[in-house]
Amino acid sequence: MLKEEAGKVEGLLSPEFRSVAAMAGWDEEALLIASLVVEDTPDRPPKHKKRSDFKTPPTNSRRKRRVQKRSPITVTVLDLEEDESTAIQESEKKEAESTSIEKLDKKGVEASKEQGCSVSFSSSSKKIESKSTEKAEKKGVEASDQQGCSVSSSSAFPSIDRLREELSCAICLEICFEPSTTPCGHSFCKKCLRSAADKCGKKCPKCRQLISNGRSCTVNTVLWNTIQLLFPKEVEARKAAGTLNNREAKHQSPVRAAATNSNITRVLALNSPESGPSSQERRNSRAMRRQSVRVFGMPSRNRDISSRRELPIQDEDAALALRLQREEFMETFRRRSSADEQYRSSLALARANLRAMASRAINRGGRGS
Amino acid sequence: MYGGGGRTWPSTTSVSSSGKRIQKEMTELSIEAPSDCAAGPKGDNLYHWVATLLGPPGTPYKGGIFFLDITFPSDYPFKPPKVVFKTRIYHCNVDPAGNVSLDILTENWSPALTISKVLFALRSMFTNPETHKPAVPGIAHLYLGDKAKHDEIATEWTLRFAR
Repeated sequence: MLKEEAGKVEGLLSPEFRSVAAMAGWDEEALLIASLVVEDTPDRPPKHKKRSDFKTPPTNSRRKRRVQKRSPITVTVLDLEEDESTAIQESEKKEAESTSIEKLDKKGVEASKEQGCSVSFSSSSKKIESKSTEKAEKKGVEASDQQGCSVSSSSAFPSIDRLREELSCAICLEICFEPSTTPCGHSFCKKCLRSAADKCGKKCPKCRQLISNGRSCTVNTVLWNTIQLLFPKEVEARKAAGTLNNREAKHQSPVRAAATNSNITRVLALNSPESGPSSQERRNSRAMRRQSVRVFGMPSRNRDISSRRELPIQDEDAALALRLQREEFMETFRRRSSADEQYRSSLALARANLRAMASRAINRGGRGS
Repeated sequence: MYGGGGRTWPSTTSVSSSGKRIQKEMTELSIEAPSDCAAGPKGDNLYHWVATLLGPPGTPYKGGIFFLDITFPSDYPFKPPKVVFKTRIYHCNVDPAGNVSLDILTENWSPALTISKVLFALRSMFTNPETHKPAVPGIAHLYLGDKAKHDEIATEWTLRFAR
């Protein structure tokens, strides 16, 4: 792997950078580390890599860089908001959630790495010209910035129990799931608040003030995002439970799909016993994949499929049924056509024989006359 | 909401949400148990609890141990639990059958209330009887008119039934 990285060094670092590094007396290892640092910034847009080539004035780029550095977080927040507007796409949300956490983790790693880099930079910067010193400073600032970020997030962990208490719903006593805030300022799970309004009257469960819009309660986005960031495990568990319930509630549709599938296989088995098992296997693997996709989250390429939920799955089933039927027809048609061919070939043989006989007869006649 | 259809599991899922909450309350009570009361399931049934209250000092109920039955409805916490005194007590808010007339256990119930809060309310009921809406008007009347007599009888009952 190291050799691979060494190969990439040439491509990743600008010639200018390498000349500066040579002046600073960097060995290959240091270059490698630098390349790793450059490599280890997957969240940033590619523009950023270009920007690190000293082409823009440092002050300007620093500001821009700060904006870009925050971009991953804002992107995820936007993601979540979108999800909320499209409502109950749990699995998708879960994915967004996990990616955001990954990003956070990466950030931590990045920060530590960059800090290590900045140390090496500053140790060697005495020899180098001002340009690269600026660069080192810039890196140092960034590293400290990022470290500050990771520290601030980790400093919240000692009081996590307090936070848990503060962010839990008074009705279900768990971490608020999709919290909704009453006009009087108390927050509960949206579902809990709705059932409370339905069953106990439109009063705030905490302070008994009237809730005017008990039915059309909206999710407190900031609070919900905060909870998702702080308690990803709990949120995921709740989501999993929710999807499980949903699946149970929508139990009938998979049953129907299975029934159609079994019909198809039965037809297949009747028509062509040799092609049955393989297609059934395929079907099974398909179904299993679908199942797993429904239970756990899903890879990003399946996102749009999952977001449209039940309908596309039925469509998928229909498509599968159609395909299998088509295959079946092709199979039988092929067999019939092969039989036809045999028949046709024998016909052709007979015809040829007749022709030969006729020609012989003509020849004989010609000779005879 | 779950349109039944002869299946048994929708009801179990709705029950399990209340069960989850009750379980949570149970663990919370075991972690930070109040000083002078205890509560927990009677047996295997999570929805049937038994609780004990100690008569607070400075009241005629001092030194008494009062047993209570707590029954959770299936749609708890949206409906209040039913609390019944199993130990006889001379109190204007507890009728001879042991039913408690406490506003938070009837019309003023809130799903944000927990059993520990209910027990807290019962404890404060020992010190300050609610005489405006009593379960036994005679006792309330005596309490307002002749508190010494009331306390005497209450102490006697405590000695007789709650020891």
